[in-house]
Amino acid sequence: MSGPLTGLRVIEFCDEPGQLAGKLLADMGADVIKVEPPEGSSARAIGPFVKDIPGPDRSLNFWYYNTNKRSVVLDVETSTGDRDLARRLCEQADIVIEDRTPGIMQPLGLAYAGLVDAAPGLVYCSITPFGQDGPWAQFRTSDLVSLALGGPMAMNGYDPEDAPGAPPIHGNGDQAYNTACHAAMHGIMAALLERLETGRGQHVDCSMHEALSCTTEVGMPYWLYARQDVIRQTGRHAAAVRTERWMYRAADGRDVLIFGVGRDNASWAKIKQWMQEHGFGQQFDEERFDDPLARQPARGTAEAREIMQTLASFIGEMPAEEIYRGGQERDQAWGIVLAPDETVHDQHWWDRGFFVHVSGEGVDAPVPMPGAPYIFSATPWELRRPAPKLGEHTGEVLAELRST
Amino acid sequence: MVKLPLQGIRVCDLTWIIAGPTATRVLADFGADVIRVEHGQAVDAIRLGRPIVGETPTLNNSGFFNYINRNKRSILLNVRHPDGYGLLRQLIAVSDVVVENFSSGVMESWGLGYDDLREIREDIIYCSVSGFGHSGRDREYTTWGPTAQALSGLTMMSGLPGIQPAGWGYSYMDHTAGYYAASAIMMALYHRKLTGEGQQIDMAQVEAGIVLTGPAFLDAMVNGRSWRREGLPPGNRAWQPEVAPHNTYPCAGEDRWLALAVMNDAEWQALVRAMDEPDWATDKCFATNAGRLEHQDELDTHIADWTRPQEDYALMTLLQAAGVRAGVVQKASDRFERDPQLASRGWWHHLPHAELGNCEYDGVAPRLSGTPGELRTGSPLLGEHTHEVMREILGLDDEAIASNEAAGVFM
Repeated sequence: MSGPLTGLRVIEFCDEPGQLAGKLLADMGADVIKVEPPEGSSARAIGPFVKDIPGPDRSLNFWYYNTNKRSVVLDVETSTGDRDLARRLCEQADIVIEDRTPGIMQPLGLAYAGLVDAAPGLVYCSITPFGQDGPWAQFRTSDLVSLALGGPMAMNGYDPEDAPGAPPIHGNGDQAYNTACHAAMHGIMAALLERLETGRGQHVDCSMHEALSCTTEVGMPYWLYARQDVIRQTGRHAAAVRTERWMYRAADGRDVLIFGVGRDNASWAKIKQWMQEHGFGQQFDEERFDDPLARQPARGTAEAREIMQTLASFIGEMPAEEIYRGGQERDQAWGIVLAPDETVHDQHWWDRGFFVHVSGEGVDAPVPMPGAPYIFSATPWELRRPAPKLGEHTGEVLAELRST
Repeated sequence: MVKLPLQGIRVCDLTWIIAGPTATRVLADFGADVIRVEHGQAVDAIRLGRPIVGETPTLNNSGFFNYINRNKRSILLNVRHPDGYGLLRQLIAVSDVVVENFSSGVMESWGLGYDDLREIREDIIYCSVSGFGHSGRDREYTTWGPTAQALSGLTMMSGLPGIQPAGWGYSYMDHTAGYYAASAIMMALYHRKLTGEGQQIDMAQVEAGIVLTGPAFLDAMVNGRSWRREGLPPGNRAWQPEVAPHNTYPCAGEDRWLALAVMNDAEWQALVRAMDEPDWATDKCFATNAGRLEHQDELDTHIADWTRPQEDYALMTLLQAAGVRAGVVQKASDRFERDPQLASRGWWHHLPHAELGNCEYDGVAPRLSGTPGELRTGSPLLGEHTHEVMREILGLDDEAIASNEAAGVFM
């Protein structure tokens, strides 16, 4: 069995912003050829590095975002011969993805307009901070700057008493780049489906700013329908008015996330009994707690406040794991605030075959790595090879090109 | 009229809340006929979701519901009624895709697990989006967006050091699980068009979240460094690459902030020139990235002193002209009222809605030059298309529709 994109050839001119799009295609079977300059993609210079020793094949960022790809070194900036090779690769490909500033690819002959005549079936996706045109098209960004302008950041932060004067906070992990690549995937797949009908390719103009701007949940509807900006709060949804806390510290110092308590009466009975067995919330037998709406934190009722206060004391005497699993076993969608690496200890993900093992320069034995975001029954996600070393496939790919 | 890329694809949409409807929003934007099957007895809670227009929820006046359900049709079907259940199976038989985001086990309990669906339609594409997936020891656990963010590590990766994490102030993983589901469905459609073979896609929202933590996860596996340690999360300072200045700085006005990221010495020199070369900035200790990292507190204080009296958009324009990566922390109001980029690219759209009036919407993020996505209709009223779908797709005549109506099938 192999992925649904097996047989598709992708040429990738991407660094940090667009490299996830190439990975998503490669992990589902596409042959993704990453064209890199002689010094390598800038992502190869991003830490953390294996044992903190920098080197083009030691970046864990590059390891993660470039699985299943092949690497070809071509100096398209300065060598006309290499540029010609890159152009031929693109003309024979099904998909090109690039994340260069608008205008950069034209003089190289590698923009969509320069390729479409020779390759009318080509799906060409440009992933840029703001799109191909508009007053900000040439603005420069980083992941932080894009999360700021695009809207996600304004919704994350703290209650004033937790961190007086704190700014809005950005989530780490290149989430602006990731979101742009998720949108790019939608565009590429839609274009591929259309191509099956007509044989024609097209240009996909993917603006990170637009991808982010439609990824802020209630933030935008609150403005569109109530002309109100939501306010940010510690560890929970930004809202029009302050709401009850969701995040509480357990006895072992770890935080748990309480998303609703007893949304229906059946699960409320279970959670109530559990707390009462531990000596908390004897008053919950009173009738006023029987109304599910009165119990919900966002409604601002006295009952909800009382429940959350009692629950906070209860949590404070229990280890986080017990709260999490005890809650889930009583039909509560609760969680532990885990560090990203702590997910590796949860056997559930191993049951599902989620983690894969990857090797590379500087490690003695393969290490676990997050695997498939989706399980396909007929055409599964697959780790065929780790991220390529710089130029590892130059000879191989150019030999293939000569033979066509 | 240009044919849309997913035109002719019918989606039997059993989703609710946010993650599932986000997936079908993408499919609908690209032209799929998305039919939301709704149940009057267990109505989508987002139909009551604020903001609403007017004083009391009517199930059709939620701006939030409207925002994520444009371009779709809605039918009311009582699947607990044998005839309603039969009509659902008939709808599945003429659908290309079934998508749902119930808890694991619900579809099987209805007799609609993947094996059952295949008996109804051999080449069906069945995508489920649940918290923990449909396999594994904890498959019966449930999540909402915030739960998934906590359990995947994303919550901890957002915040100031030394206090509780700030996390994400909305269900980022509802959006994102929906985005992955939409990609997956389109990949499965691609495979089916080539081979005729359908398949099952089992998505776990938490796994999609863990996928977004790769390098942080690998740092622990390779270097033994957990994110649960002093100094992390780093606020708005840079985790990787390690560069400075990289932060948010206050501007004139209430709660106005500028994000700024200097990635190398050349960009630092550009920032210094843009600031008119103040004495402090020419101090040797700031000349290199290593020096700037070492003196980051002092550096951030100086830059904040410079930004504090200035207007944020003017400052962004000044810095961008100098080649410095800088951007205003835009609220929803800023994006809608002040953002010239979104405005100039025609990002905002208008469509009428029976109860909400003339509504504003986002556009479609990836723009396809030949067959772009489009906005055709606002969100459907509850059951708005029941009769239409029964007549046009399932071939019921007026008499059959009336008798089903009388029997309580369409409720």
